[in-house]
Amino acid sequence: MGDIILDVRNQKTAFVTARGMAQAVDGVSFTLERGRTLGVVGESGSGKSVLSRSIMRLLPSNALVPADSRVILNGRDLTRMTETELRRLRGPEVAIIFQDPMTSLNPVLTIGRQITEVLTFHMGLKRRAARDRAIELLRAVGLPQPDVRVDQYPHQLSGGMRQRVAIAIAIACEPDLLIADEPTTALDVTVQAEILDLLQRMVRDRNMAMILITHDMGVVAGRCDDVAVMYAGRIVEKAPVRDLFHHTRMPYTAALLASIPKITDPPHRKLDAIEGRPPDIINPPPGCPFAPRCLRADAGCDAEKPVLAGTSRHQWACLNPLGEEAPA
Amino acid sequence: MTAHTADGFLSLENLTVEYPLQSGRKVHAVTDFTARVRRGETLGLVGESGCGKSSAARAVMQLPRPTGGKVTLDGQDLTGLRGKALQQARRRFQMIFQDPIASLNPRMTIRDIVAAPLEIAGIGTKADRHVRVAEMLEMVGINADQAMERRPHEFSGGQCQRISIARALILQPDLLVCDEAVSALDVSVQAQVLNLLERLKTELGLTMLFISHDLAVVKHVSDRVAVMYLGRLCEVADAETIYRNPVHPYTRTLLSAVPEPDPDAPPRQVAVIPGELPSPVNPPSGCPFRTRCPRASEICAQQMPDLAPIAPGQMVACHHPHIDTP
Repeated sequence: MGDIILDVRNQKTAFVTARGMAQAVDGVSFTLERGRTLGVVGESGSGKSVLSRSIMRLLPSNALVPADSRVILNGRDLTRMTETELRRLRGPEVAIIFQDPMTSLNPVLTIGRQITEVLTFHMGLKRRAARDRAIELLRAVGLPQPDVRVDQYPHQLSGGMRQRVAIAIAIACEPDLLIADEPTTALDVTVQAEILDLLQRMVRDRNMAMILITHDMGVVAGRCDDVAVMYAGRIVEKAPVRDLFHHTRMPYTAALLASIPKITDPPHRKLDAIEGRPPDIINPPPGCPFAPRCLRADAGCDAEKPVLAGTSRHQWACLNPLGEEAPA
Repeated sequence: MTAHTADGFLSLENLTVEYPLQSGRKVHAVTDFTARVRRGETLGLVGESGCGKSSAARAVMQLPRPTGGKVTLDGQDLTGLRGKALQQARRRFQMIFQDPIASLNPRMTIRDIVAAPLEIAGIGTKADRHVRVAEMLEMVGINADQAMERRPHEFSGGQCQRISIARALILQPDLLVCDEAVSALDVSVQAQVLNLLERLKTELGLTMLFISHDLAVVKHVSDRVAVMYLGRLCEVADAETIYRNPVHPYTRTLLSAVPEPDPDAPPRQVAVIPGELPSPVNPPSGCPFRTRCPRASEICAQQMPDLAPIAPGQMVACHHPHIDTP
């Protein structure tokens, strides 16, 4: 076992809505070691973004988290911390990058100001030193002309450049854990490749851990060590990336992989779509949330919510997993 | 019948779309775009944001009319049509958009939304239209009895896109233009809608112009694929060919950047000079890709390369195409 940075235990996050209680994250547990990248993959509404905000403790006031949910970062329990303590830790220990760099950056502050703010608050740098460090960081994330860009505003930059700035801010205090929530979804493919290369390099060079949240199995395949697949607020399968793709156990993972159009397929191949749609998290089915769409489901699946089982290496939440057919 | 029908049911001739800016300058969204689509064929149009693919699609729809060039559908010049004649012609070409929820009026019932084209065209009695709407909804996989009196917010994104497709097809158009029609959908739902479009295309003999930034999606529905960069057509070829043997350096760049859902796929080097897309207000001289192209030479700055055939079913606009490495 390596150096465990993050230990999430039975995280549950619900929101009170007009229609009732929405259980967005429903009992998620995992650990993450230094130097590793965990991909969290799922469709919209699967709870992956709420999970990232739950780890950051960046939840709106209508969110409900029960007392037995734990997020332990570097041995300290974030769920027991005050807002002031959390603020001191966001930046030096954990940082997040969001999907849309236009809305995550402040439009009325220069990008230099947004980086130096972090450096003066957390690292106690003086103005001059913070500015120099900001330019250095912008150079490190590959922003052209960092000494000019430092005085510009977000609207003067392209989407790809803005995301580089967001990364510069996130790594400014050398966090141990970086959470990237759909960091390239708003970007074009060529820019996406550049940004993912950059993130990978940052994680490796600084020996950080990263949670990469994405809906794109292609991004997962090329950029992560381990993958957690989420469905209806739960992790339904978790494994090292190669095992997940080659020895898929959970039928949802298999169906998701099969439904992706692949560039290596011949034109006009009929896609293996998953019929139906994800369950309503306000009124989830009593058993396995995927059972209504699952071709392997039986009566047991409708009655009982399967828990994650398997080995510490590869886990799945399924009563009728793939790869366990009785030998003929 | 004109000469064009022989080689193009839909034909775009030197299409140019420019948007005026307050400064008096112009955004060159589409420049000198020429393409032909055969009846029953799907032409995929790919490129990154700002490459002009949506502007080209809208120019086909005459929404707005292109600044220059000609769009011909089944021998009829659409760019010359005005008023009633254009409205009449519009029955033959319809469009579906990216955001399935925003493209349906939230105050209208599904019945009224899908019946609207019939009503505007003055086709049938109210009872006839009701029957026709029910047929269309069933055709796109929506339970008509349950859906008719409901409103868009009661449906998921995938269902709203099916309803948009029903509305687009109710006038039995010849041409369907899909602008990022599945981009907002989750993969499992995206696959359902792509399969639906493929089925409808075959059953109804549709001709399609399919615009997307997703190269894998485009490959799945297209017979031929056209790649655009900064308002210009770079390369157009049979779907199989362009993915197997791309010859334009930009097509290669684009394909190499697509993340493959296979952990054993060898890591690929994206062959592009890092940098930004040049401004379409002030595009580079000559070939627009030359500022980021690893193969660019002097001539690329001086002269825009002509679109020329390079292999059967493959045309490229490049001074230095990749013909050496098959």
